[in-house]
Amino acid sequence: MTIMMPAPDQAVLARREAIVAALHKLVPGEGVISSAAEMLPYESDGLMAYRQPPMVVVLPDTTEQVSKVLKYCHENGIKVVPRGSGTSLSGGALPLADAVLLGLGKFKRVREIDFDNRAVVVEPGVTNLAISQAVAHAGFYYAPDPSSQIACSIGGNVAENSGGVHSLKYGMTTNNLLGCEIVLMSGEVIRVGGKTAETSGYDLMGIITGSEGLLGVITEITVRILQKPETARALMIGFAEVEHAGQCVADVISAGIIPGGMEMMDKPAIHAAEAFVHAGYPLDVEALLIIELDGPGVEVDELIKRVEKIALGCGSTTCQISTSEQERLLFWSGRKAAFPAVGRISPDYLCMDGTIPRAALPLVLRRMKEMSAKYGLGVANVFHAGDGNLHPLILYDANKPGELQLAEDFGADILRLCVEVGGVLTGEHGVGIEKRDLMPEMFSEVDLNQQQRIKCAFDSQGLLNPGKVFPTLHRCAELGRVHVHGGKLAFPDLPRF
Amino acid sequence: MDILKVRDAQDVEQAVRAAIASEQPLEIIGHGSKRMVGQPVATNAVLDVSALNAVTSYEPNELILTVQAGAPMADVLSLIDSKNQQFSFEPMNTSQLLGTPDIGTIGGMISAGLAGPRRIQAGGARDHLLGVYAVSGFGDSYKAGGRVVKNVTGYDVCKLLAGAWGTLSVMTEVTLKVMPRAESERTLVLRGLDDIAANKAMTAALGSPFDVSGAAHLPGSALRTTQGALGEIASPDQSVTLIRLEGITASASQRAVSLSTTLKSFGVAEILEDAASAVLWAAVRDVTPFAASGPRAMWPVWRIVTPPASGGALGQAIAKGSQGEVIYDWGGGLIWAALPPSADAQAAQLRKLVNAAGGHATLIRAPEDVRRAVDVFHPQPKGIAALGERVRHSFDPKTILNRGRMSRGLGT
Repeated sequence: MTIMMPAPDQAVLARREAIVAALHKLVPGEGVISSAAEMLPYESDGLMAYRQPPMVVVLPDTTEQVSKVLKYCHENGIKVVPRGSGTSLSGGALPLADAVLLGLGKFKRVREIDFDNRAVVVEPGVTNLAISQAVAHAGFYYAPDPSSQIACSIGGNVAENSGGVHSLKYGMTTNNLLGCEIVLMSGEVIRVGGKTAETSGYDLMGIITGSEGLLGVITEITVRILQKPETARALMIGFAEVEHAGQCVADVISAGIIPGGMEMMDKPAIHAAEAFVHAGYPLDVEALLIIELDGPGVEVDELIKRVEKIALGCGSTTCQISTSEQERLLFWSGRKAAFPAVGRISPDYLCMDGTIPRAALPLVLRRMKEMSAKYGLGVANVFHAGDGNLHPLILYDANKPGELQLAEDFGADILRLCVEVGGVLTGEHGVGIEKRDLMPEMFSEVDLNQQQRIKCAFDSQGLLNPGKVFPTLHRCAELGRVHVHGGKLAFPDLPRF
Repeated sequence: MDILKVRDAQDVEQAVRAAIASEQPLEIIGHGSKRMVGQPVATNAVLDVSALNAVTSYEPNELILTVQAGAPMADVLSLIDSKNQQFSFEPMNTSQLLGTPDIGTIGGMISAGLAGPRRIQAGGARDHLLGVYAVSGFGDSYKAGGRVVKNVTGYDVCKLLAGAWGTLSVMTEVTLKVMPRAESERTLVLRGLDDIAANKAMTAALGSPFDVSGAAHLPGSALRTTQGALGEIASPDQSVTLIRLEGITASASQRAVSLSTTLKSFGVAEILEDAASAVLWAAVRDVTPFAASGPRAMWPVWRIVTPPASGGALGQAIAKGSQGEVIYDWGGGLIWAALPPSADAQAAQLRKLVNAAGGHATLIRAPEDVRRAVDVFHPQPKGIAALGERVRHSFDPKTILNRGRMSRGLGT
């Protein structure tokens, strides 16, 4: 384990039995899990290189219970780690030895479907896909579609501001929310937004979304739903050079076309995927683009033609266009299975998640190849090309001493490169613990202090999900101090009118 | 009045630090085009950022624009228009409604966060602000967000700054997402529907698969006085309901025909194309029926955001109770109401109706004495108001920036 978590509070651990007993009173029945064997499934999330048994697991099933648990923990100085389905790829739900793990898995109800207001009210444990399924009979769906959508919970999506292959056109989670209910660490229940397009006052829902479980525990969510596009078709285009594929992406966008999805895979990823699912991917190309157009049939047909022409202009060597839904899904099958496909060719892999300006892609891929040689580890790339979101998969073997460390160093170098070319550390997976210590690559201490002050407004004792996102923890009192700089007017040369 | 005209972010830092030291609040302005919105700011010192007006970078292929916060909206709009791009949230031009000569700066536009008709499809200012450089009330320059469209690194501080009316930080540079302009647009015009029927028609359109990008209703009463684009197609004795479709030409025209069929129980729709359609939506966006140069100049104007499907009933109740006039955008989710003048702009009565509907109301235009007398921004339940205040405090503990603009209690 190379990322250090805050040292457990021994005084809290010493009180464990009393804490478990108190929680049993707040969440009766089977809502409290405290035996080592039963807590095993909660030791880790999607970032499986890291494991830590929690002090105790609590699974409330009402907002009132969540409120009582948090109030109790707040009053007794006990840390809390919230968890949805546990699919986070950045360790957002990694337990702490001295913290209560608060699982929202029992919040499974779709509370209300309101087609007229195009809104669905759900509990946080409902899976992303289940929302679309609940409204499919009326032709609606919920647009954000992270790859883990069968399993990931909408509460987790809000916490992480999840994206997906369609985010270029339809936005991330934050662009598709109308309201939420959150419970603050103090136990106070706050409702933000509703069925209105905008909330009143400051956009608190905007800051809660993507806050990685550090600001509050989400207990209800109102999402916006959309009518399904009439049709969707995909092109699968091969290029002999990565640069050509990159140019094609840029040209499609500058032609005013915003595809539903625009994905790129490099040669190692193409080969791994093809060997796994036999989607008919060309094996002699350096880069493969899958471009999906969705909308009314007449529009999709026309845009397919335009994109094909643009691709040819960029030197495409192969181009297949789906003529049936079955074929479209076949094109996608390799891309969607890219992670497990890579899992077949390597005992372990680390999935990175930086975003770069699209124009920097050829440079970044070239530098990544050099790093791969330097570290002696393979890398396969899948890429949400439309919005510049890279997912390099670093191949390693955890059983070889030192290789996890090597892979993590390689990953950190890739993310530093992303920042260097004008990008960011994470496009959709979150900071969690995985990128926590890289935050200073992108943000100064002043930047991070301002973010932590916002945390103080929600959680003044820093008890909710500590050790995630921020590399250094500060006390709120220290962050809140205003420094008065020198005398009165320090700018005699500033123009005054 | 003391006006500090800053030249760069460092000047802003210095000015805020000096203001902290002298406990002197600052009113933050660009062109000052929206100064008369909000509670009157409790200060007589002005920080003018209009000289921060450079375009830092514009990369049409990346769909990214970075500009200093004081850049004039007019210049920025013509710049992106030259590449056939736009802000897809269709920011409102408040100059006609507020009666100002200028349309303001980009920083002002984001701080106000007033999105136009396409908000129902494309989101608001908050959805297109990707990154900022700003100076907090601690007098510290900080950055948040980034310069790429997809980013979850750290808290999404940009969301808080959009629509904060300059009460959290002084933005010095902003990065925004731009989008290609649609090739064509079509507007279906339905005539003579009452507010309830129009609301139903708009709900049906927005629940259809035809990807509607605008849905507005103008009752005849609001058209009594309208010059210009709306005057051309409308008359006081007949309401108009407008539904917009955008995209490539073949698609927009085919969807217009299909949607007309879907809506045939609401009447026969006339279809307007491109320029004829665009001028109407600019008038809806800018709320020209209540323009400051028109006969409703003396009437206070409210902006009400409410669940869309019941907007018609709410608007009707407001108009009836107040003897005022309303127009609807966002399929009923946004109501602009001009009410006959009174000491409180009829706030109590209006907010009672709005609260019952699950909405919120902001007093966008009213004389200063009225704005002193009422809550301009919608009063919030105690818990959320307290949380909002703690968040504000986390940026500006000494309440240096636009003191009291969003909250009457802070102005004293």
